[in-house]
Amino acid sequence: MSIDRRMRLWSLVADHAHGVPAAVEHVGAAVMSAAGVDGVAVTVVLAATPRETIYASDRVASRLEELTLTLGEGPGVDTFAGGPVLVADLAAPGCLARWPAFAPAAVRAGVRAMFALPLQVGAIHLGVMSLHRAQPGDLDAGQLADVLVLADTACALLLDAADGSRPDGHQPAPAGLQHPEVHQATGMIIVQLGVSAAVALVRLRAYAYAHDRPLRDIAADVVARRLRFDRDRDDQGGTG
Amino acid sequence: MAEVELADVFVEMADTLVDDFDVIDFLHVMTERCVQLLGVSAAGLLLTDGQDTLQVVAASSERTRLLELFQLQADQGPCVECFRTGQPVSVADLPSAGRWPRFTAAAAEVGFAAVHAVPMRLRTEVIGALNFFDTKPGAVDADKLRIGQALADVATIGLLQQRAIHRRDVLTEQLQTALNSRVLIEQAKGVLAERLHVDMADAFTLLRNGARSHNRRLSELAQAIVDGTEQIPEATTASRPH
Repeated sequence: MSIDRRMRLWSLVADHAHGVPAAVEHVGAAVMSAAGVDGVAVTVVLAATPRETIYASDRVASRLEELTLTLGEGPGVDTFAGGPVLVADLAAPGCLARWPAFAPAAVRAGVRAMFALPLQVGAIHLGVMSLHRAQPGDLDAGQLADVLVLADTACALLLDAADGSRPDGHQPAPAGLQHPEVHQATGMIIVQLGVSAAVALVRLRAYAYAHDRPLRDIAADVVARRLRFDRDRDDQGGTG
Repeated sequence: MAEVELADVFVEMADTLVDDFDVIDFLHVMTERCVQLLGVSAAGLLLTDGQDTLQVVAASSERTRLLELFQLQADQGPCVECFRTGQPVSVADLPSAGRWPRFTAAAAEVGFAAVHAVPMRLRTEVIGALNFFDTKPGAVDADKLRIGQALADVATIGLLQQRAIHRRDVLTEQLQTALNSRVLIEQAKGVLAERLHVDMADAFTLLRNGARSHNRRLSELAQAIVDGTEQIPEATTASRPH
């Protein structure tokens, strides 16, 4: 059951946080144990700066991110086309053809399996989470499901870190796949505030946390036009 | 009449084999064909999100209430049962079936009495379900169910597009991409609804027409609208309040 998986994985993240508010690096650590991989890296893509690796579990993970950035190719690049890139064996002929510079370099660095998950919410591209393993092979269905939930958790933490009002230590609202109103409301707030999609979603989430109401309910209010986020008001939202 | 429309479906399926094929638009067309060919009131297509939940990816109508009704089945309802068993599920009369109270109540509010679901299968794997509703209670006849299953199969082929998908990883990649496209489209609907003061269903229509008339993929146009690099020309805004 989806709720059980989320709860179990959040406990795992919290365990890795050892009492401090959970952050993206704790999600990275949780991914390693849940997916049975050797290393994890999280790279964010921000408007003003190029890719920045904000977490790497070890030197191999850092190396893969460096290679991706320097060579401009690899699963970590292709994943921006909209979906995960799951590679069981970088040494396979198809992979060598697809990434002629990256694949051999990654194999030389000791990596055979690599799984790149986009950290995204529709049009909002936050970054990528890359997993690697020395042993070739797929993730099984359970590991994949866990990794998808943890990628969503990483998105949620990244979004909430952008605004001061994040609920420290508490499980964040899911970022991606959820009720359509959340995404529709994001679009409406883009226009109402004249901001980017990422900022719009951050504001929507911050409002929900600040008013201690479920994100879905706030989104429903926005879509029903009971709640507007107006540029010319000091507070973040108001009735229109 | 039905034969002509079935031929349309085959043509559309053949279209899925070309390079610039728009999978999201195609899935929408499949739901519309479902309504036309089966004579039902509404149809929706749900896919697994890989995290134990079904998500709506396309529906014959973008009315919010209808989408919510489909989405209510994220973790329980006929669609979920169909997805888990890989078998068609038919409920000829929802209220008297006495199952899924929340879903039944919501369906009644929108006026639906009967619901059917057929699985979207790739060999042994079930990737989602095609769901259709009727305002009149009653079983769906065997021929129609076969057509419904054929439409689900066409939708699966179109979505997966590759002859050699035998690995879960490629399947997951395709599904996750489709699901993210759906989020993108919802965001674009919000932008258009607010900018043009229209409802979400009209916003979707504008988006879709814009994509078709400029030969662009729905998801690409949606991205451009959300990024602000593209505007959809307003139809008539004479009466727009300030």
